[in-house]
Amino acid sequence: MAEPTFEEGRYLYCVVESADEGTVDDIEFSEAGIEGDPVSVVEHGDLGAVVQPCDSPFDSDDLGTVREWLLTHQSVVDAAGEAFGTPLPFRFDTILKGDDDAVSAWLADQSETLASHLDELAGHWEYRVGVAWDDDRVRDELESNDAELADLRERIDDATEGTAFLLEKQYDNRLRDLRQARKDDLTNRLRDDLDPLVSAFETMDSTGDVLGSETNEEVVQVAFLAHEENEDEIGRVLDDVASEPGVEIRFTGPWPPYSFAPELDA
Amino acid sequence: MSETGPTRSQSDLAEMLELLLDKGVVINADIVVTVGETELLGVKLRAAIASFETAAQYGLEFPEGTDMQRVEEAANVEELPESETVTVGVDPDDEYEESEADAESNERSEEEAEADERSEEQTESKMGEDTDEETQTAEAEHDGD
Repeated sequence: MAEPTFEEGRYLYCVVESADEGTVDDIEFSEAGIEGDPVSVVEHGDLGAVVQPCDSPFDSDDLGTVREWLLTHQSVVDAAGEAFGTPLPFRFDTILKGDDDAVSAWLADQSETLASHLDELAGHWEYRVGVAWDDDRVRDELESNDAELADLRERIDDATEGTAFLLEKQYDNRLRDLRQARKDDLTNRLRDDLDPLVSAFETMDSTGDVLGSETNEEVVQVAFLAHEENEDEIGRVLDDVASEPGVEIRFTGPWPPYSFAPELDA
Repeated sequence: MSETGPTRSQSDLAEMLELLLDKGVVINADIVVTVGETELLGVKLRAAIASFETAAQYGLEFPEGTDMQRVEEAANVEELPESETVTVGVDPDDEYEESEADAESNERSEEEAEADERSEEQTESKMGEDTDEETQTAEAEHDGD
C-alpha cells in the first residue's frame, strides 16, 4: 500500500475546551509527544486541539515500539485532561494533513459539533469494571442448587459407562447454560444498580479479547461513562456486588471517554 | 474488597492500549490521512500477535477499507482468495461475479476448503470412534477383571 504522502501534518491527541480564550498558551505540556516531539495546543475560540507535528503516520511492525507510542498517546491525553477537563480523545494515529492553520480551520469548521460533544462529556469520564469469580465455587453452587443437575448427577452415577458418557455431556451443557445465565444476571445487576449513576453503559465481549488471548479470567466486563462526582457512590455499589463470596471486582478509571467518543464527519 | 474508588495500575494501562487502537474519536474526512492507517495499525498489531488464521477463526472482522494485502504481509500468510480478503468470517457470496476469472478461482478455493473441512471432519469422527473403541476395550478389560 502506498504510504499516504504529505509533507506536513499534525498528529491529533485530543480536543479540549478552554473556558477562557488564550489560557491554553500558558499551559506547558511537560509530556513530550510520540518520539519525543513537542506537543502544542492549537486554538480556535474556546476549542483547543492537542497536536504534534509529523510527516508520516506512525507505523511499525515492532510491538514494543507500538506499545511505547500508545503509552505516550495516553499520557498526553491524560495531561490534557488534567489541564482542561474531560478531553475528546482521538483514536491512535489520527493525523490532519497540513499545518497549525489547517488544524485551526478544521476546528472552526467543526466547532459546533465539537463543542456540543465536549459539553455533553464535561466532568464525565470512562470507568471500567471487570468481575472475576471463583469458578470452582460457582460450579459447586450451581450443582447444589439446580434440580436438573442433581438429577443428571444421580443418573450418571447409576448408569453404565456409555450412557454415563452421554449424560456427562448433558450435564456439561446444562452447567454451561447455568453459568451463562449467571453471567447475564451479574451483568444485568451491574447495569441496573449503576443505571442512576451513569450516563452510558457498554458491555464488553469477555470471551477473550481482540488479541485472541484467553488469559482473561474476568467473566463480565463493562465500560460506562459517569460524572466524576458519582465515583464514590459507584464504588459503594461495586463494593456491594463484590461482597458476595467468591466475587472479585476490578474498578479502573477515570479514563478519557474512549469508548464513548463520537464519529465526526467533515 | 473494600476499595470504593477506581484504580489505575500498570496492568490496567495494558488494557487501554488495545482500546486506543479501537476507540476514540474517528474522523471521516479527506483531509485526515490516517483513518485507514489507524485501523490498519490496529489490525497489524493484532495480526502479528494472533496469526491470520487464528484471527479469522476467532471471527475477528477487519474494518471496512482495510488493505488486506498488507494485513497478509503482516501476518506472513500467502495471498487469500479475493472473496476472503473483504471481511474475515463473513460469507463471501456477495463478492461473486465481479469477474468470471475471480469467481472461478473463488469457487475452486471454496471447494478445496470444503474438501479440507470434510476430511477434517472425517478424521475427527474417526478419532471419536477410536476413543469409543478404546473405551469399549477398557470396559471389556474391566469386565474381565
